Amino acid sequence: MRRKCILLCEVLVLCSLTVGCSSLGVKPWQRELLSRQDMQPDGNGLDDAIDDHMYFSKEASSGGRSFGGGGCGCN
Amino acid sequence: MQLGPDPSSVRRRLIAASCALLSSSAARGEQGSVTDKIGRMVEDWKIQSALAYYREDGRIQAIEPVISAVRDLSDGGRLTLNFTFDSLSGSSPNGALPNHNPQTFASPSARSLAAARHLYTVAPGRLPVDPNYSDARVAGGVDWTLPLSRLTRLSVGGKFSYEDDFYSATANAGVEHDFNDKNTTVSLSVSSENDFLQPIGGAPTPRSDYALFEKGGHETKRGQGLLLGLTQVMTRNWLSEVNLSLDRFSGYLTDPYKLVSVIDGAGDPVGYVYENRPDSRTRRSVYLENRVGWTRASAGLALRYMTDTWGIHSDTAQLRLRWWNAGRDQYFEPSVRWYRQSAADFYRPWIAPNAAQETYLSADSRLAAFHALTYGLKYGIKLTDRLGGFGRGGTEFNVRLEYYQQTIQNGPAAPGALQGLDLYPSLKAVLLQIGFDY
Amino acid sequence: MAGPCEVLLPATELSSARELGEVAAAEAWRIEKKYSRYRQDSVLAWIHAQQGSTVRLDEETASLIDFAQQCFVISEGLFDITSGILRRAWKFDGSDRLPDVATVQNLLPLIGFDKVRWRNPFLTVPDGMELDLGGIGKEYAVDKAYDQLMARCPAPFLVNFGGDLRASRPLPNGPWKVGIERPDTVQTAAMILEVEYGALATSGDAHRFLLKDGVRFGHVLDPRTGWPVPDAPRSVTVAASSCTEAGLLSTLAMLKGARAQQFLQEQAVRYWLLR
Repeated sequence: MRRKCILLCEVLVLCSLTVGCSSLGVKPWQRELLSRQDMQPDGNGLDDAIDDHMYFSKEASSGGRSFGGGGCGCN
Repeated sequence: MQLGPDPSSVRRRLIAASCALLSSSAARGEQGSVTDKIGRMVEDWKIQSALAYYREDGRIQAIEPVISAVRDLSDGGRLTLNFTFDSLSGSSPNGALPNHNPQTFASPSARSLAAARHLYTVAPGRLPVDPNYSDARVAGGVDWTLPLSRLTRLSVGGKFSYEDDFYSATANAGVEHDFNDKNTTVSLSVSSENDFLQPIGGAPTPRSDYALFEKGGHETKRGQGLLLGLTQVMTRNWLSEVNLSLDRFSGYLTDPYKLVSVIDGAGDPVGYVYENRPDSRTRRSVYLENRVGWTRASAGLALRYMTDTWGIHSDTAQLRLRWWNAGRDQYFEPSVRWYRQSAADFYRPWIAPNAAQETYLSADSRLAAFHALTYGLKYGIKLTDRLGGFGRGGTEFNVRLEYYQQTIQNGPAAPGALQGLDLYPSLKAVLLQIGFDY
Repeated sequence: MAGPCEVLLPATELSSARELGEVAAAEAWRIEKKYSRYRQDSVLAWIHAQQGSTVRLDEETASLIDFAQQCFVISEGLFDITSGILRRAWKFDGSDRLPDVATVQNLLPLIGFDKVRWRNPFLTVPDGMELDLGGIGKEYAVDKAYDQLMARCPAPFLVNFGGDLRASRPLPNGPWKVGIERPDTVQTAAMILEVEYGALATSGDAHRFLLKDGVRFGHVLDPRTGWPVPDAPRSVTVAASSCTEAGLLSTLAMLKGARAQQFLQEQAVRYWLLR
């Protein structure tokens, strides 16, 4: 069931990539909030790196936001 | 021979001409110092640094300084460097179950129980932990993004990690493309990791009897990953991101230091075996993140669903909120994270003496079914005007505190004498971090 | 002008902020009206209507022509305010319709500031030639609006006309944060520059170009040949003490084509260049 859900998500994402999201978005001069550091996808600074390392050493999942897994023997 | 006017005189003459045109005092006489101050931040390095102190209740503690430097290049690209050092010490669970009687174990460096200098004894009723655990690690990485065209960028990067029993090197590459007026970005990246393990005392023969001390040498492990990402600007205030990832690991995936207790019907340990994990693991995950922002606040919600071929699936949800004060120079950022995972197919808190048929088994609590909660609070303050001229626009000091608690789901009822013991104690940990951004 | 024109200032009263905004706007409109090539009542229209007769210019226009002449000399003929008539041949609409060689050739005799007689304040523009101040008008407007506000506004302020801007001094909390839309950068968001004081001007061809057989023809035309400067950068942003100076440097860099980066490095200015 879980695997089917994940598969469904993957299919939906791939579909939306092909169809495109052309009606959504803003003009260049409307980006003032989006350009703020806390609104950037990697805007949490070192917090994410430190947290990811902690969760990687205590849990069985890693990554998702970026490549995870490895780079550390804390398994 | 130089043809044409002397280059530096072009500028001087231009300054003179525009001064004459504007005849405003601001345009005169300030040329040298002015340009130093305009936009100087962009091509300089943006540095972020942090020192994190992590402490588990009765187990591991770690100190981890981290530093990262980012530079936006004049061709529109970006270079990122980072460096981490961490030092761990304390007690690490060895996978065995608690017992009413004391249990004695040898540290990984031992080659036999007789010759062992590092024996340790675990008190009755306590979770067996190796109290001599200590490790130091150095890691670093580089990432370079360069524009291939107006809307497309290529990234390449590498990272390494080095500790005395584990070396790792990873390379990654990716391509990103924007469309819809740069409101939509699609990215595809690949990574390849190679690890070299040299466990202290040698890698034990998987599933072998602990008392035999059958230990070998080194092992290797490999990983490949594929990441497909889509980022979409929804409105002026809202950014949405979804990532699909597929990872495959192969090689020596076992933890060379972990044991599984062999418990007879009465609940007494008749021995221990080294754990053994399959030599391949494929993992898929879907990650969704949404961020919304207003003038004095922002919020982010991240969700991740993961499943793998070891039978583990997990759900993660993390919420972050940030509030600034009226002067927009200080903020608070509370956060909460909820996590749940199922156990690996081969997770066995213990095995019976005649369970020879099970090839793969591990009692590592990280492969157990559990849920975990993290509560966090961060405070940050801009230092630009507080240090008398030192500091740029982004100079900030911050401090973060997090509390993490992992509650393991109770497994099957333990036989005989083990009933009444807490076989699955919770893990509680605190993280304190101070940071300085320049 | 692409994008809004604005004046940014921290002010506690809406009425005083509005007043200052109106002062800046009035100055901008005054310059637009006086020097627009599209308006019948502009000074340029009046000069062109003389059909070759000598005119006596007012002080402001005279100083602009002085400036244009100095730029013509400094740039060795690359910056030329008589090159505007090339717009009759070139329509930069993103299509692949290049003008034919003869059309462009026929316009060349009508281009060349050296053909204009200028002895301050007397100007003689030969019949058939035209002057176009589009290359310096916007930056000049920023500087003039800036001067107007400097005389009236004790608080820090920033004048921004569609990306050409000038700041008087930093805000109490730190520098001004300016977002520059840069088509080719890593971030989907704008590049953020932190400006304490001074001016920025950008020249670019992000939206005005022709594309034929895979070759991109930017809209920056070499007045000596009538054709686009080959290998012009996609965009150049320059920082300087006045917007006029910054604008000229960015325009000159574009005109230098492949040598743009070298030119800017020789001038020892802060710049951001995209190819």
